Amino acid sequence: MNCHHFTKPITRRDMLRASAGGFGGFALAALAGKDALGAISPAAGPIYAPVPPLRARAKRVIFLFMWGGPSHMDMFDPKPRLNTEGGKELLGETVGSKKDKLGTVLGSPFTFRQHGQSGIWMNDLLPHLSRQADRMCVVRSMHTEGNAHGEALLRLHTGQANLVRPSVGSWVSYGLGRENENLPAFITISPPRGHGGVQNYGNAFLPANHQGMAIGSAEIPIAKAVVSNLGNPQISPTSQRDQLGLIQSLNRRHLGSVGHDPRIEGLIANYELAFRMQSTMPAIMDLGGESRQTLDLYGIGSAPTDNFGRQCLLARKFAERGVRYIQVSTDYTWDHHKKVKEGTVEECAKVDKPIAALLDDLKQRGLLEDTLVLWGGEFGRTPMVENGDGRNHHPQAFTMWMAGGGVRGGLTYGSTDDFGYRPVENPVHMHDLHATLLHALGLDHTRLTYRYAGRDFRLTDVYGKVVHDILA
Amino acid sequence: MGSLRPFGVGLVCWLAVVSNARPADGPASAGVDYFEKHIRPLLAENCYSCHSRGKKQKGGLLLDSRAGWVAGGDQGLVIVPGNADSSLLIRAIRYKDPDLQMPPDGKPLSKEAVAHLEAWVKMGAPDPREVSGNDTTSAAPPSDPIAGRGHWALRPLGADQPPAVKSSKWPRSPIDSFILAKLQGARLKPADDADRRTLLRRIYFQLIGLPPTPAQVTAFLDGRRPDAYGRVVDQLLGSPQFGERWGRHWLDLARYADSNGLDENFLFREAWRYRNWVIDAVNADMPFDRFLTEQIAGDLLPFDSIPQRDRQRIAAGFLVVGAKVLLSDNEGQKRMDVADELVDTVGRTVLGQTLGCARCHDHKFDPIPTSDYYALAGIFTSTQVVQTRHMLGEQRQMERLAGLGADGDERNAAYEKYWKEQSKNKEREKQVKAALELLMSGDEVKLADLARTNSAGVASLAADPSQPKDQRVRAQKELVAEVQALAATASKIPPRAMIPADAAKPADEAIRLAGQFDRLGKKVPRGFLRVISDGPAAIPENHSGRLELARWLTDTRNGAGQLAARVLANRVWHHLFGRGLVRTVDNFGRTGEAPSHPELLDFLARDLIDSGWSVKHLVRQIVLTRTFTMGSRENKAGTAIDPDDVLLWRAPRRRLEPEAMRDAMLAVAGQLDLKPLDSSVSYLGDQATAVGANKNRRRTDFPNRSVYLPVIRNDLPEVFDVFDFTNPQTSTGMRPETMVVTQGLFMLNDPSVMAASEALARRLLAECPSAGDKEMIDRLFQLSLGAPPTTGERADLVSFVRQSKARRVPVDGKDVNLQAWSLACQALFASSRFQTLD
Repeated sequence: MNCHHFTKPITRRDMLRASAGGFGGFALAALAGKDALGAISPAAGPIYAPVPPLRARAKRVIFLFMWGGPSHMDMFDPKPRLNTEGGKELLGETVGSKKDKLGTVLGSPFTFRQHGQSGIWMNDLLPHLSRQADRMCVVRSMHTEGNAHGEALLRLHTGQANLVRPSVGSWVSYGLGRENENLPAFITISPPRGHGGVQNYGNAFLPANHQGMAIGSAEIPIAKAVVSNLGNPQISPTSQRDQLGLIQSLNRRHLGSVGHDPRIEGLIANYELAFRMQSTMPAIMDLGGESRQTLDLYGIGSAPTDNFGRQCLLARKFAERGVRYIQVSTDYTWDHHKKVKEGTVEECAKVDKPIAALLDDLKQRGLLEDTLVLWGGEFGRTPMVENGDGRNHHPQAFTMWMAGGGVRGGLTYGSTDDFGYRPVENPVHMHDLHATLLHALGLDHTRLTYRYAGRDFRLTDVYGKVVHDILA
Repeated sequence: MGSLRPFGVGLVCWLAVVSNARPADGPASAGVDYFEKHIRPLLAENCYSCHSRGKKQKGGLLLDSRAGWVAGGDQGLVIVPGNADSSLLIRAIRYKDPDLQMPPDGKPLSKEAVAHLEAWVKMGAPDPREVSGNDTTSAAPPSDPIAGRGHWALRPLGADQPPAVKSSKWPRSPIDSFILAKLQGARLKPADDADRRTLLRRIYFQLIGLPPTPAQVTAFLDGRRPDAYGRVVDQLLGSPQFGERWGRHWLDLARYADSNGLDENFLFREAWRYRNWVIDAVNADMPFDRFLTEQIAGDLLPFDSIPQRDRQRIAAGFLVVGAKVLLSDNEGQKRMDVADELVDTVGRTVLGQTLGCARCHDHKFDPIPTSDYYALAGIFTSTQVVQTRHMLGEQRQMERLAGLGADGDERNAAYEKYWKEQSKNKEREKQVKAALELLMSGDEVKLADLARTNSAGVASLAADPSQPKDQRVRAQKELVAEVQALAATASKIPPRAMIPADAAKPADEAIRLAGQFDRLGKKVPRGFLRVISDGPAAIPENHSGRLELARWLTDTRNGAGQLAARVLANRVWHHLFGRGLVRTVDNFGRTGEAPSHPELLDFLARDLIDSGWSVKHLVRQIVLTRTFTMGSRENKAGTAIDPDDVLLWRAPRRRLEPEAMRDAMLAVAGQLDLKPLDSSVSYLGDQATAVGANKNRRRTDFPNRSVYLPVIRNDLPEVFDVFDFTNPQTSTGMRPETMVVTQGLFMLNDPSVMAASEALARRLLAECPSAGDKEMIDRLFQLSLGAPPTTGERADLVSFVRQSKARRVPVDGKDVNLQAWSLACQALFASSRFQTLD
């Protein structure tokens, strides 16, 4: 817990003054394009973090989440000894574990090559991504806690598992605010419903406007996904416009009869925003306006890239429109307890082309400089075999990579032992990743706090150190 | 104390002592460190209760400041700096002189403590404490439990009488006098009384969470009795809907949910029993001390009947419904996390304390040392709230369940045994069937083989080739039926509930250094908060200590009862006025806010205790005040002087909670079913939110009150999710109130709002078949707002309905008239008048 910093409780009046220029400013601020919606109760603290930003390298984040846990030693962290010692027992002492025997070593079925001028290692399943090597900063020394998916997902997304905490995207929304008044600052495309579910994009105790807006869920193809209540099939747009007119007229009469009331003013602004969003969101989600060339680039319209391609293109569109934190999740398909070879082949084929397309597309639009793209799962996989041809969960070591906004491209950072069992050089804990992510966005993870239940909380609890070496 | 000989002490020596005692740099500070580390806690724990300012000054001696012992007591000097043997205090604590023994009553200090005091006196008795009774602000750390007793929330309840107010007829009750006195002090006047319609709507929503019907409004307005309002209050307090609303307030604190949440969202199939127990207990106005005791130790209480035993056990489900990281493989960590969740929940809910802060270090702000935290944690680590049970194909750690009814334990055990052995049973079923087939087909060789390798698979008669075949077949068929019956009978879940139990071997817990589960510090006896009461907790060795804890929490003389009463009275006030007298309802510590009306808070707490902890009594006292019945209009003076309405110069205007809003829509539409529900999640699988496609999602499409909707953690009903329902993963006394775009989208588009609007439109059209638009609109307002529309509102609606009808674009074959009215009804639901309580 971060128990050391306490701020004066903030009254509703303070909050209104800070956020919207005082009483009556509520609706005006919203209409003027500033976000005035959020907490209006005396329970709440400030809507946005009152911390002065650091130098920001990035303005937004796109997190490509590989649900299930990709096998690091089969993708980005080649370990020749796995193959030379395949079938042999891995002894605990070899990798500094207290256990005598850890299991049988499973060699990697893949060929690895170095790519780009920087010579980043990748398996041969990533023909498109490998051409992006010099943009990528591959962190091989990630580690976290949680042997089960639920715990690991919660730690990845919120920093903690045993308590309900705001998700990374919510903290970013709280820290940076919105760039676009018609869209939320945090959107999650196809989030998992299990393993923590909404908690992984929840605002917890932060004001509710920082909750991630979900589009569909992991098991639903994105082409069929919808945002709840974003339209009304029963009413024609004209009728609804008229109806909104009636609602707002009734509300203004009520407001007139009571004098000032920030709640009623807020409500009026809120209906306007909701109505506008009904047309802006579907317009963004409709990929019809994209050129054939772009669709092809992402692999949209052809198997197996169609779904992830659509998700990535959507992410680019949201990035373009100023959404601060965009997460794209795969379905629960990276959990290869069996057939890690077949599984990895299949999953790489789904994401390789779309990811490369996303990086190119962002670059081409001048967005890559200030968009930090992050790739990874909730943990890695064991060097030991499971079920004959699979690998088990492995939070002790795994690989994530970043590209774009503020990170050093063409860098391989950190390393694991000969078996990929644990980090040996420059370990990066999940808290360190979070600290670094915030830092790249110009937010000091030790100062981005929110007071709740008598304490000031932060994303990184009392941990986390910024990995300056990977930042440009 | 025994006889006293005067000791001569030179002035020079004293000066030396004085300079030694300053908490300054240099060698002197080592002595002060020694004092802080060993002596202050010792004195505070063992001596202050009789020898400190503000407590007692037995024998004329104060030991809570240097000046205190320098001045000595009735018997003169007690400490001779530098000379332990000559110091009376040392003589007393050595416990060798039968006439001079301290602490009294045969409770000598430990040898270690005596040695510390001797050493301290020998080094010149360095002591930085300047002033008696001021230990809080001097050098005592904030976590010092003795020094902390001065904090406002921890002081004994005051007995202030209502203050005198300037010649006013305004007050109707002592509570009003407290309010008015503060208003007058700020040169403010209370607002005019609310009009009777507004008041009726307010009291209906506040007490039962539903709007009054037009008939109830008319009866109230037409009634001439002066006590009409009081009669409505009593009627509402006695209505079963009261418990559904006020029970829900408690369920927020109890972090009630129908699923685990966190990492593995397993269904809490039996949680509803606890939910309904709360509603019933609130309706019965169960005294709060009893209400709390049953929830903390209901499984340990004596009982006269099995139903009573079961009710008490179900109440203790309070301890079991918390969210846990179920799949963690770190047992040590999990054990402490589960206890932590309970320490934190009980501390926050009952005492308004942030005890969780003291898990890793002494509390930085409140008088709660880590040792007190682990004294409480020991009670909960000595309590089982999880157990290993069969779930989804394997034995897993799950919420603890126990059977209900006289044979509940047996039936539960049989059920669990069945699942544990289910794979074996299935295997056996296959075998007995296979044996039957072999027998029928006459394959005696294989049958004999089978009987030899697996005697349980073949009936003994059937295995005997010398017996007549028809008898052998009959015997084997009977065995098949028997094995099949075994499977069939056990498959139904027996009645059971979430019920904790004491651990087999209750034990004290060791302090965890820096909160790390595997870094053990010293063991602390199970007990309570020392800032509230001295002395050991007297927990029998083979008890968890929950029963003792429950008694201590509500003990108004020697326990935390006065604090608990303050916290509860403040919560009641918070619900009725939208803000507590202490705004931070869950934090009565030093980082919380001080009460706006401290004397009133104490008055209410005392009244609550004196009424026998009757919550209904307290609610009644408050809603009958003039303060509660004020109007909500703003005025210039109020806005200028007290913009946040802290002093209550007007009634607050508030937004309806999601439950009240949904229930009101259903009620107005004529669809609400007031029948209480048992489980609303029985159709769900064991995973409340499955990974992957989940066809069995929680349902919300039943017209019962919202308190019965499924509370699936991480998958709340939409209306809850959008409109600031409590976060059911943690105890919460104050819901947030936010304004987010999803709320607007919900009112404009959600199918449930559309359905209620259409039902209301149908009701209107059916009730007033030949009425004109204006009468229809009047009726719509009467139904939904309990008041006629203003001229402007009526005009808005008339023109909208006419325009809509004129458009003539039937959708789905729906009548144009119905469509137009549905849209109008929905607009009214979406309006601020409907969603706001004046």
